[in-house]
Amino acid sequence: MVGYLLRRAIGTIPVILLISLLVFLLIHAAPGDPADLLLSDQATPQDVAEARHRWGLDQPLYVQYLRFLVNVLKGDFGTSFRYSDPVITVIGERLPATIELAVVSLLIAVALGLPLGVWAGAKPNSWADNLGSFFGFFGISMPNFWFGIMLILVVAGYLNWLPSSGRSTYGIARGSETGFYITASLLAGNLAAAWDGVRHIILPAIALGTNMMGIIMRVTRSAVLEVMHEDFVRTARAKGVPERAVLWRHVLRNALVPVISVGGLELGGLLSGSIIVETVFAWPGSGSLLISAIESRDYPLITGIVIIYTLAFVAINFMIDILYGFVDPRIRFEK
Amino acid sequence: MVRTRWAFIVAAAIAACSAGTQPAAARGRVTVGVTETIASYDPYADSVSLAYSIWCQVLGCLGVYDYSKADYVGMLAESWEVDKANPNIWTFHLRHGLKRQNDGKELTADDVVFSFHRVNTDPQSQQKQNVAPVKEMTVVDKYTVRVVTKQPTATLLEYLFDRFIITGKDLYEKYGARDADRKYLWGWGPYKLKELEIGQRIVLEKDPANPEGKPENSDTLIFTVMREPEQRVTALLNNEIQIAEFIPPQLAARVRESKSAKVAEVSSVEIMFLAMSPKYKPWDNLKLRQAVCYAIDRDSIIKNILDGEADRLDGPIGPVQYGYDPVYAKQSLFIPYDPAKAKQLVNESGYRGEPVDLYTPVGRYIDDKEVTQAMIPMLNAVGINARLRTPEWATLWSDVQRGKTPFYYMGRGSVVDPSPALSQYFETGGSPRIGVSDPGIDKALAAESVDFDPASRKKQLNLAFKAIEDAAPACFMWGHHLLHGISNSIEFKPDPGGRIFGTQITVKQ
Repeated sequence: MVGYLLRRAIGTIPVILLISLLVFLLIHAAPGDPADLLLSDQATPQDVAEARHRWGLDQPLYVQYLRFLVNVLKGDFGTSFRYSDPVITVIGERLPATIELAVVSLLIAVALGLPLGVWAGAKPNSWADNLGSFFGFFGISMPNFWFGIMLILVVAGYLNWLPSSGRSTYGIARGSETGFYITASLLAGNLAAAWDGVRHIILPAIALGTNMMGIIMRVTRSAVLEVMHEDFVRTARAKGVPERAVLWRHVLRNALVPVISVGGLELGGLLSGSIIVETVFAWPGSGSLLISAIESRDYPLITGIVIIYTLAFVAINFMIDILYGFVDPRIRFEK
Repeated sequence: MVRTRWAFIVAAAIAACSAGTQPAAARGRVTVGVTETIASYDPYADSVSLAYSIWCQVLGCLGVYDYSKADYVGMLAESWEVDKANPNIWTFHLRHGLKRQNDGKELTADDVVFSFHRVNTDPQSQQKQNVAPVKEMTVVDKYTVRVVTKQPTATLLEYLFDRFIITGKDLYEKYGARDADRKYLWGWGPYKLKELEIGQRIVLEKDPANPEGKPENSDTLIFTVMREPEQRVTALLNNEIQIAEFIPPQLAARVRESKSAKVAEVSSVEIMFLAMSPKYKPWDNLKLRQAVCYAIDRDSIIKNILDGEADRLDGPIGPVQYGYDPVYAKQSLFIPYDPAKAKQLVNESGYRGEPVDLYTPVGRYIDDKEVTQAMIPMLNAVGINARLRTPEWATLWSDVQRGKTPFYYMGRGSVVDPSPALSQYFETGGSPRIGVSDPGIDKALAAESVDFDPASRKKQLNLAFKAIEDAAPACFMWGHHLLHGISNSIEFKPDPGGRIFGTQITVKQ
């Protein structure tokens, strides 16, 4: 297994290189110059030329790319044009917010999607199936930006139950400065801060996780339906195993492999989905950071975020591969 | 039993949620929903209006433009004068005894001169244009600064006030740029910087030792980033924030109908216009450019699309800008909607109906796409074969900056004294954005910029307005009204520049 993972790790190097080259070329091919966009309306042509020189934009493209690659090998992703700080620092300040949001969205998606899918698959064409399918299709078909705005209007606006935006309330001390508000506050025993974090994360996490919930529900339903007709299920029933144990211990475990595959892909989707949801909810994560970086053509920051996202996708796929082995011991990684 | 337990859990969760949504407006705390963020701890590394507004009330600036007095007033500077013998020399007298937040260090001329050098030499500085007319700045004595301009500049205060931020020389020298900016951003303004979470919020606290802060002003002022207007309005009605800036007209009704908030509106200093670059055909034709100005029914657009939330511009500026003369504007600068005259001008121009593209941003300005959509049939009706183009903002703005867009709808913000903006867009060599070169405009702008007598300068400015209108490189459309949602728990009168100073906000008892 270690050998397999090592091979996979080495295999990702050309992927990262290719992605970095593509991103680099694409953002430079896009019209719009960072100096024009980032400097003041009153900036003179001399100010613009000076900024372009400072940022190295007056160099040929291949020189810029090679310089970028050499610096990345040294762990330096460059300095953000807009924030005037190292890209890694800027991303590091925002990434925990995105990770926290993605994790809570994942929990919501799995906690709702899995049981709904199991119930629907176990009792096809019943009211449970219809109800589960309704939620499943709702989640899949609902654009998350629209759903987010509806949540803001109804839950925050009319019902006044939860805050409409942001990540925390000023004045409630947080547990630490790690950037993971809820986890750090819980570990520090600061329940007020943890509760404040939970209240802020509920709406964006629902908006982000609903789509994944729908997909997990549909995939689980199909997998459960298929496994329910397997011989071992009939055998278990014949042996007098209670129906609940048959369903949750035998059927679900065998149905999990496709669910994990889709869940892994969708977890990557949570990162990209967060770009929109973070903007709608003013969530200060790397998704909204990417939007503002694109708007201002902050080349180093765009490239840095995309590479970090690529690494996250690769890491997620790693973990999914490892999970396969735990869920289904028949799966082996060695040749 | 199980159902009862679940019902209890759900009810408890809802109750907890409701109980937890306490108003953010604790007594003395005001939260403002803003559309942009400060991008850096370095006070010179950003040039958005929010940054100037924050740094000016935290660190301090020499002075500000007071819209209620229609004049410049001192902040850190007590008074100033221009040398009558040599109009290149200005002298600024600083207030005595101004103590810095946290350590009580007195403001001196050294700090002002240091700030000037830092604006020019800080590698991250994006504010060099604010001191561009200044050749040198020197210390005369502890409280006096001499400023020498490159050429006589009657509009120097337009450059320096509101935008030239003063930071402590000693802090920079002692701690270095990074620590001075991140840990010791202490200044002479009425509010202290308490917290800066870039992209999320900026928290200011009133400095009790500063005489500008009054007891009725909020003790804590929080700027929280909310880019979506729907979000700002919901947060206002939810009492999460007490000021929601820049509400679009279509959402204003929601605020007006509520019992907890109201809408405050003020005419913006941003001027909206249609630019036509004479560098490109067919816009090298004066009559065709003039025809465009007669072809647009601005009153109808303001009434039917902008819900009346704009003021028509007769000439380049409106009542909120320096130099506006209502009588002259009505008599000499007003261009009526006259499609017959527009048609006649089109015929006289020799224009043969070749397609022209009107470029507009989308979502950058209030109803920008909608108003330009309305302009297209108006232009078509007088014989101009116009089509609408809606590129992404970054593309459009970059092209405009480089003079690559022949015909576009755009706004120019921060126009208080119009001289720098008019020079930038309409003076030969000002910028490539329109690319007009007209001796009449150049002469008029040059004359007003060196005239230090206010009454005489206003006349010169109006002559410059006329010269610009006659050359018609642009048709001036309107100035939007800035709509702010204001909680009934505070009193706040927004200013046309969109600044939000804590000292302008009164928390009701």
